[in-house]
Amino acid sequence: MDENFTRRVYLGGFLILVFSLFYYQVIKGDYYLSRAKNNYVRAIPIRSIRGQILDRNAVALARDRAAYNIAVIPYQIIKNKDAAFGKIADFLGVDLKSIKRNYKRGVTGMFSPVDVVTDVDKKEALTLKEKYPTDITINSQPQRYYPYSYECSHILGYVKSASAFYDDLKKYGYTPLERAGFSGLEQYYDVYLKGEDGGDLIEVDSVGRTVGFLGKRKPTKGKDIYITIDSRIQNIIHRHIKNRRGTVIVMNSDTGEIISLVSSPSYDANQFIVGRGVGKFFTDSNKPLLNRAIQATYPLGSTFKPIMATAGLEEMKITPFTPFMCNGSLKLGRARFRCWSTHGKQDLYRALAHSCNVYFYNLGLILEADAISLWAKRFHLDALTEIDLPYEKKGFVPSEGWKRSEMNTAWYGGDTVNFSIGQGFMEGSPIALLVAINAFAVNGYIVKPYLLKSVGGIESRLVERVNIGIPRKTLDVVRKGIKMVVHSPSGTARKLKGLGLGISGKTGTAQTNGKSHGWFAGFFEYNKTKYSFCVFLENSGSSHFAVDLSYDFLKELKEKKLL
Amino acid sequence: MIVKSINARSTLTTTKMLAGCLLVLNLLSLLSLYSSLHLAGEFKSGAILYRQIVWVVASWIFLIIFAIINYRLYYDFGYIFYGFNILLLIAVFAFGSKAMGAQRWINFIGFKFQPSELCKIAAIFVFARLFSGDRRGPLLQFLLPLGLASLMALLIFKQPDLGTSLIIVFLFFAIGISSKVSKRYFIALILAGLIAAPFAWGMLKNYQRKRLVVFVNPDVDPLGAGYTIIQSKIAIGSGRIFGKGFLSGTQNQFNFLPERHTDFIFTVVAEEWGFVGGLFLLIVYWLILYNILNIARSAKDDFARLLALGIGSLFFLHIFINIGMTLGILPVVGLPLIFMSYGGSNLLINFVLMGILINISRQA
Repeated sequence: MDENFTRRVYLGGFLILVFSLFYYQVIKGDYYLSRAKNNYVRAIPIRSIRGQILDRNAVALARDRAAYNIAVIPYQIIKNKDAAFGKIADFLGVDLKSIKRNYKRGVTGMFSPVDVVTDVDKKEALTLKEKYPTDITINSQPQRYYPYSYECSHILGYVKSASAFYDDLKKYGYTPLERAGFSGLEQYYDVYLKGEDGGDLIEVDSVGRTVGFLGKRKPTKGKDIYITIDSRIQNIIHRHIKNRRGTVIVMNSDTGEIISLVSSPSYDANQFIVGRGVGKFFTDSNKPLLNRAIQATYPLGSTFKPIMATAGLEEMKITPFTPFMCNGSLKLGRARFRCWSTHGKQDLYRALAHSCNVYFYNLGLILEADAISLWAKRFHLDALTEIDLPYEKKGFVPSEGWKRSEMNTAWYGGDTVNFSIGQGFMEGSPIALLVAINAFAVNGYIVKPYLLKSVGGIESRLVERVNIGIPRKTLDVVRKGIKMVVHSPSGTARKLKGLGLGISGKTGTAQTNGKSHGWFAGFFEYNKTKYSFCVFLENSGSSHFAVDLSYDFLKELKEKKLL
Repeated sequence: MIVKSINARSTLTTTKMLAGCLLVLNLLSLLSLYSSLHLAGEFKSGAILYRQIVWVVASWIFLIIFAIINYRLYYDFGYIFYGFNILLLIAVFAFGSKAMGAQRWINFIGFKFQPSELCKIAAIFVFARLFSGDRRGPLLQFLLPLGLASLMALLIFKQPDLGTSLIIVFLFFAIGISSKVSKRYFIALILAGLIAAPFAWGMLKNYQRKRLVVFVNPDVDPLGAGYTIIQSKIAIGSGRIFGKGFLSGTQNQFNFLPERHTDFIFTVVAEEWGFVGGLFLLIVYWLILYNILNIARSAKDDFARLLALGIGSLFFLHIFINIGMTLGILPVVGLPLIFMSYGGSNLLINFVLMGILINISRQA
């Protein structure tokens, strides 16, 4: 057989197609045209209610409320579209352009209502409907609302219609009109929060009248989730840090429950819901959309010293009483590395209390860089804490080998000196530092921080911790040193002693190209609960400001009996 | 000398004809795509249209490149290419991402990549090589291609992609029957297949079975799987002789048909341009196939002849199955309409095949 056979096969196939086409279009064409006219099955979606997000005392932080939208049905207005839009714009005093834009964006079919003006006052909506009953319909839909929007937006995130990033979401079975969580817990726990939309399936005729009812599916509500945040504490801390750049995290030391996580400046999630006035959040040079607690890394400065102290003791390079002399600076080759004061002879306890740089320069040079790296990594400073929030950023811990292979230069003594006071190449996120310092509070455990308390009445039991194997003796030495930071008359955070909370912790002034960052990370026990907290103020100038902020909010929390 | 010059001229007209047909199809495709992106009179998405225009331009560049590359290369590298594809298919199971319950894509440096597309070409290369030449006995010339076809079809079927695995089987027959291998083998194989058919039913996935049942009687499930077939028929039928006019297809514009810019693009043509438009499209396709048959007839060697026939049959199968599916005379299997449907990789590959055909005709 040859090409002729193949040709006959092809020809046969084409004749079948031509004949079928002829049959459907020419012979049965009128029949199908009439079916086309009467074949208007349409689905009217009924939106589901999204689960609420409640704090540990059952205060709603995110919930759905009814929003009244003005909608048009394309089929009813297609002949006099502009007149109808004009009427709506005049009555409500909204921009005609935005109505047209919403229409163009929202059209999905001839009979599906399109929201042209969203979130209209209920009374106004009803009056408009009375006036133009044939042109518009009122579409009441659940809309997300955040009562403490600025206070909690970095934790909660917000929701968007899935169509905005539909290509990524459709594989998970989202429909384009559904709401999906975007950043924060709304995104992380979307599976729980999202309900399932229902709908009516009806049959309409060619003029849009309903001629048959085919079926209904009830929407299902999403699950409520309870989180570990105490919104009263969250609000107080937010008020204290509001006009500054920085972050405050408060955590239950033993369990890892995040009691408060504030990043400042913040943004108004409600504005993202209505889609108005959000441009400023993107253009603001203070980056209000950035969650500084988990999505950014900074030099840790002297808050790294407790980890250095642990390294020195565990590597048996020093005892608590090994003295180093501080003359205000350390000379290494031709370079001079400064201390922030002249401390004289210092042992480990005093060096921690005074945050003496020269002591730790010397310790660093004895330890050498790779041992410091090793210990920084042991405290998980290069790892994710795996807090249940999206887009956490990993910290970075350098090493000699890294510098040689990535930067093509040798590791110098000066690098070691910088490294040993938390400067130089190392960076960590505030949450990672909190978790590292927390290890001293809980006998050498790295605790995983978390926010989800329970879903639909079932406790999340997210408590997870690993022991990093530091002997009690070493922990006690470092703990004594960082207790002196607050309780010694010359300690760098002595102001906090006045709170009467028995705080231990470490200050940090991390040098940058601009003004220094201020840090304080510490812990205390009050009313039988252990709290760890971390305060970070970006470019604030010095650790004093972090200590002051700690003092202010802890004082208020204690006075209001919130601890 | 005279023979040669005639050949040169006919080669030139063949090339011109094919290029002309492709240009017409490009134009028709973009117009239909533009129309399908409308909803209730509003143009919805420019991005899809622009992306397709970029793909069209890129495809032409590839066509020219492959028209220059000597087709003997595919003889030499056919096996390696086949082996590479088998590895890719296995890789899909290991690293593939799931789309709509089927594991057909792998992400390759950010690009989504569907190995079953390339498999069709690899199959054509190895079949054309193994079936070409004189008789060498059943083992080498029948059982070996049969084994390679079965292995590939089975792996694709497991993805699961019934449509493509059937195409591999069809290509095996289309190329084999045109070769010098004894026809008795193929007849015996078909008989064996008929006996085994009831067992194959058991291997199908639920949704595949459902599609076949619904195909036989779409009214079983008018809002589920049968919906597409009914809506497609209504859209096509209501176009009648002259169509409803460009951008005026109501079924299309009211969003009754899902996937209408990809697998169901033919309904857009048939609804808006009517029987006249549908027939015109079929004639253009026929001209392409007719020219491919001519290329096969005048090919320099048996490999080139079978290669051309294989590509022609691949095109034919796509056209027949896709349009047959929109007309409700074949089950819905999810194959694009070549040169018409939205989608870059399919367009590009078909243009590459066209380039190969032009090279064969240039060397004739």
